[in-house]
Amino acid sequence: MTPVKHLQLTLAIMKPHVVSSPFSLHDIRRTILDNGFYVVRSKRQTIKLEQAEQFYREHKTKFFYNRLITFMTSGPSEAYILAREDAISVWRRLMGPTKVFQCQLSNPDSIRAKHGLTDTRNATHGSDSDESVRKEVSIMVPQFCFDHWKQTEEPMFRNGRVQFNDKQFLHSAHES
Amino acid sequence: MSSKLSSRLFNLIKKTSCALCSKRYVGVNVKPENVDPFMAPYSESPKDQQRLYVWGMAEHGALGDLKIRSRERQIQFIYRPVRLRFSYSHKIKDLACGYGFTVYAVESNQYKLFGCGLNTDSQIGYHDPRKGYPLGLILATVPIQLPLKEPNTKIKAVAAGRAHTLVLTNTDGVYALGSNCYGQCGRKIIENEDFSKLRNVNNITLDDGISKIICGQDHSFFITKTGKVYSCGWGADGQTGLGHYNNESQPTIVEGDIKGENIVKVVSSADCVLALNDQGEVFGWGNSEYGQLLLDSDKYQVNIPRKLPLSKGIGKITDIGATGSACIALNDEGVVFVWGFGILGKGPEMNQSREPTPIPSILFGKNQYNPETRVKSVYCSVFHMAAITSDGNLYTWGKNKWGQLGLGHTKDQYFPLQVSVGAAVKRVSCGVDHMVALCIPYQ
Repeated sequence: MTPVKHLQLTLAIMKPHVVSSPFSLHDIRRTILDNGFYVVRSKRQTIKLEQAEQFYREHKTKFFYNRLITFMTSGPSEAYILAREDAISVWRRLMGPTKVFQCQLSNPDSIRAKHGLTDTRNATHGSDSDESVRKEVSIMVPQFCFDHWKQTEEPMFRNGRVQFNDKQFLHSAHES
Repeated sequence: MSSKLSSRLFNLIKKTSCALCSKRYVGVNVKPENVDPFMAPYSESPKDQQRLYVWGMAEHGALGDLKIRSRERQIQFIYRPVRLRFSYSHKIKDLACGYGFTVYAVESNQYKLFGCGLNTDSQIGYHDPRKGYPLGLILATVPIQLPLKEPNTKIKAVAAGRAHTLVLTNTDGVYALGSNCYGQCGRKIIENEDFSKLRNVNNITLDDGISKIICGQDHSFFITKTGKVYSCGWGADGQTGLGHYNNESQPTIVEGDIKGENIVKVVSSADCVLALNDQGEVFGWGNSEYGQLLLDSDKYQVNIPRKLPLSKGIGKITDIGATGSACIALNDEGVVFVWGFGILGKGPEMNQSREPTPIPSILFGKNQYNPETRVKSVYCSVFHMAAITSDGNLYTWGKNKWGQLGLGHTKDQYFPLQVSVGAAVKRVSCGVDHMVALCIPYQ
């Protein structure tokens, strides 16, 4: 067996219109599993206004800031912490470009082209760097402890000592 | 028995050869008793019969009972028109396709509204066969209960958005079902409201009386009998046209350039809105990221209606449509104009146009054999466009990821192509990923 490299974490968010459409949610979840991601944490929540404002603070001056905030807080969404080698870049490649109308022509097989509805309702979010993963996870899943992940969970996930719970859509490490 | 058959065959051969060789046979009326069963014409359908065809994404259940019919259980989508039996038992007055669901208004004394498909926001009513566990997907066309004040109330029209439905009645105004997260149902926004268990239906009335209803994805429009426009819902792109970018939960009059105009039609499938007045002039507001509103500046959002600067040569506009990134307009000569971004219907090379550009009429079946053929109406979904001609032919083009163009494949269609529907198409409704066509038999 080839030695598995260090697992990287990324934060994926299923936006409200995906969560309210069982087919889209199921299809995206299957894409995540088929591409060898481990789902380290899975959380369904309705994002609060303060959370959203903090989450998207770098876009504060952009014209789409208001619609992004109102959209993200409009209903339940799901946040997943995903683990894989090069998780950030692989997840971003699977998602495709941000703008759905352009993405449909340039990357028709990506998640956003398949399940996005408009440029705002673009199905999913993905972190762009290790720093933003830390920042975004602390906003969306504040209970998650990076040190514990690095010391205890990561080696077990790396060696494949995990089991998958389909109902919770979650991988968990097991001791044996 | 065999002799009978052989004599029949002989008759048939004789007749065919007669028809082929003898000139005199042409134009001779065959008397009914002489008509051979093999040569008999098809039986005619009743003239008032309606035919309903559906195609596109089937996973949500928006195609009615097709998904649960045992023969087609495994289907994910249908890329060709399939006829539904629903129209034989119900006289359909209006239909509307939302995101993953379809609603039908029927003429009946009992149930007047039917729906099928995605119901996670109670957009097609509250259905719980097991008490307390409402269904999020409904895979058959089911009646929707409305709190009508009088039993004789008739439903005049329906409209469907991403997750809400509007129903226009002749006596009670409008009923709104489904998600109200932006105020699109015209009632106060309640934080963290659980729409999957929503039982109440909101009743909207306006002083002038409502004559038309339109749903964008997360916003609603009401056209009054005097041609005024009221709106409510999500305004983050300015799509409510109320001069601000906030949510609006109370239907409010839209002013700006349409003030004082008699508006006859408003269209919106995503966040860009077009309106048409009785003079054939077009107004627009909302999202303009792809140049849909023909602005001089690089402004992406317009929150107040403004008249589109269409050139004089385009003439009087009779029908309009707006996808998420492009617009379409039909003039009184039957010429179709498109502008914006995406698949515009002018081939794979052209995916952007800053100004209205005509689609050649020959693509809609106008040629020297059919010189009278012209486009009668145009329709838009978020990602594709459709047009119906005077012959009752349906043409579609655009994105086709779930077979929603009905062309028999799932490849994108870059110019208008006729959908093979076995009847004359009267009207269609375009959902995000499916389509429904209401037809009558060819006469």
